[in-house]
Amino acid sequence: MNIAQQIYRIFAGRILASIGFAVLIIVVLAAVFAPLLAPFDPLDIDPISRLQEPSLEHLFGTDQFGRDTYSRAIYGARMAVIIGAGSVAFALLTGGLIGMLSAYFSRLGSFLMRGVDVMMAFPALLLALVLMTLLERSVVNTIIVIGIVYAATTARILFGMTLKLKGGVFIDAAICSGAGHASILFRHILPNLLSPLLVQATFIFAFAQLQAAALDFLGLGLPPEVPSWGNMLAESRIYITRASWLLIFPGMLIIFSVFSMNLVGDALRDTMDPRFKDDIAGV
Amino acid sequence: MLAYTLRRLIAFVPTLLAASALVFLFIHLIPGDPASILLGDTATPEEIAALNQQLGFNEPIYVQYFLWLGNVLQGDFGTSVFFRQPVLSVIADGAETSIWLATMTMCWIVVIGIPIGILSATRQGTWIDQVTSGFAMLFASIPTFWLGLYLILIFAVGLGWFPTSGFPSLSDDGGLWNLRYLLLPSLTLAAPNAALIVRLVRASMLDVQREDHVRTARAKGLSPSRVAIRHVFRNALIAVAAAFGFTFAALVSEAVVTETVFSLPGIGRLVVQSILRRDYPVIQGVILIIVVLYMVINLLVDLSYARLDPRVSLK
Amino acid sequence: MKINKVWKSTLAMGFALTLSGAAFAEGTFRYATVGEPPSLDQHVITSDLATTIAHHMFEGLYTFNASNAPVPLLAAGDSLEDGGKTIKIDLRKDVKFHNGQAMTSADVVASLNRWGEFGSRGGLLFSNVESLTASGDHQITIKLKAPFGPWKNLMAFINGGPAIYPASVMNGATKEPLDPKEYIGTGPYQFGEWLPNRHVELVRNDAYTSAAGAADGYGGERKAEFDALRFIPVSDVGTRVSGIRAGDYDYAESIPGDLFADLDGDANVTTILNGGPIFGLAFMNSKHGPLKENFKLRRAIQTAINKTPALQVAIGPEKLWAANGSFLPKGNVWHTEAGTANFSKGDAEAAKALAKEAGYAGDPIKVMVSTNYPFHYDTAIVYTKQLAQAGFNIDLQVYDWATLIKKRAQPDQWDIFFTHHGFVPDPILISVMNDNYPGWWATPEKAALKAKFTASADPEERKKIWSDIQALIYEQVPTMKTGDVYTYNIASPKVKGLGSSTLIWPAFWNVSK
Repeated sequence: MNIAQQIYRIFAGRILASIGFAVLIIVVLAAVFAPLLAPFDPLDIDPISRLQEPSLEHLFGTDQFGRDTYSRAIYGARMAVIIGAGSVAFALLTGGLIGMLSAYFSRLGSFLMRGVDVMMAFPALLLALVLMTLLERSVVNTIIVIGIVYAATTARILFGMTLKLKGGVFIDAAICSGAGHASILFRHILPNLLSPLLVQATFIFAFAQLQAAALDFLGLGLPPEVPSWGNMLAESRIYITRASWLLIFPGMLIIFSVFSMNLVGDALRDTMDPRFKDDIAGV
Repeated sequence: MLAYTLRRLIAFVPTLLAASALVFLFIHLIPGDPASILLGDTATPEEIAALNQQLGFNEPIYVQYFLWLGNVLQGDFGTSVFFRQPVLSVIADGAETSIWLATMTMCWIVVIGIPIGILSATRQGTWIDQVTSGFAMLFASIPTFWLGLYLILIFAVGLGWFPTSGFPSLSDDGGLWNLRYLLLPSLTLAAPNAALIVRLVRASMLDVQREDHVRTARAKGLSPSRVAIRHVFRNALIAVAAAFGFTFAALVSEAVVTETVFSLPGIGRLVVQSILRRDYPVIQGVILIIVVLYMVINLLVDLSYARLDPRVSLK
Repeated sequence: MKINKVWKSTLAMGFALTLSGAAFAEGTFRYATVGEPPSLDQHVITSDLATTIAHHMFEGLYTFNASNAPVPLLAAGDSLEDGGKTIKIDLRKDVKFHNGQAMTSADVVASLNRWGEFGSRGGLLFSNVESLTASGDHQITIKLKAPFGPWKNLMAFINGGPAIYPASVMNGATKEPLDPKEYIGTGPYQFGEWLPNRHVELVRNDAYTSAAGAADGYGGERKAEFDALRFIPVSDVGTRVSGIRAGDYDYAESIPGDLFADLDGDANVTTILNGGPIFGLAFMNSKHGPLKENFKLRRAIQTAINKTPALQVAIGPEKLWAANGSFLPKGNVWHTEAGTANFSKGDAEAAKALAKEAGYAGDPIKVMVSTNYPFHYDTAIVYTKQLAQAGFNIDLQVYDWATLIKKRAQPDQWDIFFTHHGFVPDPILISVMNDNYPGWWATPEKAALKAKFTASADPEERKKIWSDIQALIYEQVPTMKTGDVYTYNIASPKVKGLGSSTLIWPAFWNVSK
């Protein structure tokens, strides 16, 4: 079955999820082609034309620096994809590896999972606050700080799922046929976990957007000059009555993209292996 | 059960030690120190060093940690550098707000989340189910501060129904009536969490519905609503109880953003401000208490799981 | 105990009787602050917020009248002898501390001594003091090493200044700020309570005796009209504005310039300009890095910048800022145009040429700024852009304020950092005059002028020397002034007696609602 057919199988008959999928494709396209789509330089300051209402020239108006909000919003899509993909990659790679290894090698597991417990015991946002004050505000650090939080959850989930698989007949068969540990883990166990991992990835992607926006709002996320939707909201929140467009557009962009991601995640989960359905709570 | 509880409590100790050492290390690694914040712009480096010495922040970090740990074991969390008050009393002050905020938020979640979840599950696949699930997910997708800002604008400034910000203590003038200050913040905080509960109630009810004893009850000819309430809902409660526990724990600490928007004197904002002020004793104290709280709730959830669901065995 | 609060409020639930009670008595004045002050001890704390609260309860020997001239407050009068080297100050005899004790010269000497040794600005005066003695129950005598012009201005400036505490509180006091239990002063309001995160509350001092004369600036009669002043931290500026609009607060500070037009036209809001402007400063590193002793390079940077667009972006309405190069504003006795031709050239080509002459080869220049103060950050963004156009390689580093303070103390960490400065009545109090202030400007030219400046007691001569110092600042560029900013506060229209602007800090004696 090719990818197009799979996608059709997942989204056929799910109108909301299909719309969500379309929105996500648009966001990704905007992210990739931002320099072509944005009519202005998102960092270009123009004190003369500050706080202008939306017009044909400035579709989303201008902000307090006179920067074009529409161009910033398009570059914001790029940041959203970077933060989302980065957090997913970090969480799945570290968390996933810890979870699988812990379940497979039980001695190592009791040690590693204790570490995961420690991480889980910290309230997510507080941990992120302490870490972000310690590290400097940057894209990479924001990704790490958000990723750590979800790495712990991912480790827990994969731990449970790997345990379930480990007892399976096909693993015994693999061991009998003389397969090594690495081969069992990555050739036999991992492929079975791919679809739940994909679902988990969509939810992390969605949550990462909200988490990053919250950090930006508290002044501890991306560097303030980076055009991200969260920074746009954080910088402009005092203009809520004076220049409402500065809050409405980026706010709506966050809501729609997170909503879409959640819809897609939900659709994926419905079509996933029923053995693991309970393991991923999602929204 | 008792033996199990004891074993779990003992297992807390290493986790707590690791967590507290980690926090201690992190916050002391952050550049900046309490004395330069206190003394401000005009202080010379010598004056700052002298005051840090006086406050005990010039010792090697492990010495500071063990001193702190020793004192905490005796119930002494130290004194806030900034407020010159015992850390515990500073935290207790913030706890009033946080606990009331979390309680009111939980009320909204129960009042809104559970009925909608049941509705959604009993009408599985219909348009009602689609719409309610869709809305639940939509609310979970709104950044809390954005929602809060607009709630203030509409209901506090525009309509004047509620206060914009702050929370006077209930022991202050106004008494219980002061809870109206928490109405908008609790709604803000409830929105994403209610969505979570809606989905959870729905999912666990659907799972239970498929199980044998429910089928038997149906076969016996019990009315669908009785089945829904007596059998399905009761069992679904197990999963929901667990979620409540975690949500409550998270509410107390994750309310940072909401507390900032509404200027509430809660624990979350206390932590943020204390980090900015480098008020080490307060940060350490709060995080330690939250971690303990989290672990205790974790344990209680597991225990109640065992009580509600005989299939779960404690090992 | 505070822990009881939680239980008390739980109890309150049982007695659900008070459902209709008003939240606040009319006699409480509610002030929304940007945050919480580090401490209210005026000797060692220079935070403006601390003074806004504390000058209602702590008083000094002198204060300022409406034209910023020092007038007696706890002092009754003074006389200079010995060619200005001996100062005799008589104290008012009717002054009582909040603990009921009468104020005597012992309290004043103890307070001045602690301020002189540990106070933020005490060293400026006391490095020149030979002896301080009580020459009577209500008289003190200060002997100076040499005549010292700014003594009375320093005594009158309560921020980081000589508040008078009881001798019992001063006993053993050091650099460590006083404990709230020791907040005992002489002012019209006295310390009530400080609930962390919630509020600082001052209550009326019924035993207050005011200085003589009609109210004039901070001088003259002070009358406490409210039962209590409550200073509530509301860190989010949007929430402060909403709170005033909805009537939840009576007064809110530090409102962004962009909202001025809207708020000024809103019938539910009164705007109050702050009289003394604050000004932004971009300090340059005189101790380390590419800018060290390279005055030409610094002038190149200065030449590249046009200050006006930054003020437009950072502040907004023209009424609220002035692209003014003089360190003290127009109308002030210290105003001078010396050197200000170089204040805001914005000439990228000339800057490039100067930088080339100075041997600049595109090395990165590390600029530190904090987002805790949006106008620093906005200014830095505009300057960075202008400097880049003039060929400078700017490495902008954004920190939280506490980190910036830490880093700026380390000479190898930065080349330029942004801060701001409050209005001060005497140029000697401006931070760049302090050789130890980060930036560490201490050239021989500065030392010579500074010595002359403090030694002179003649106002005309001091003005002349100050204009030479200002010219030197524009030549050696230890710091760049970014312009004057007139901050403003907002209040509920119900509040009476505020006036259209404040002198330095808002004061709420002689104010009612």
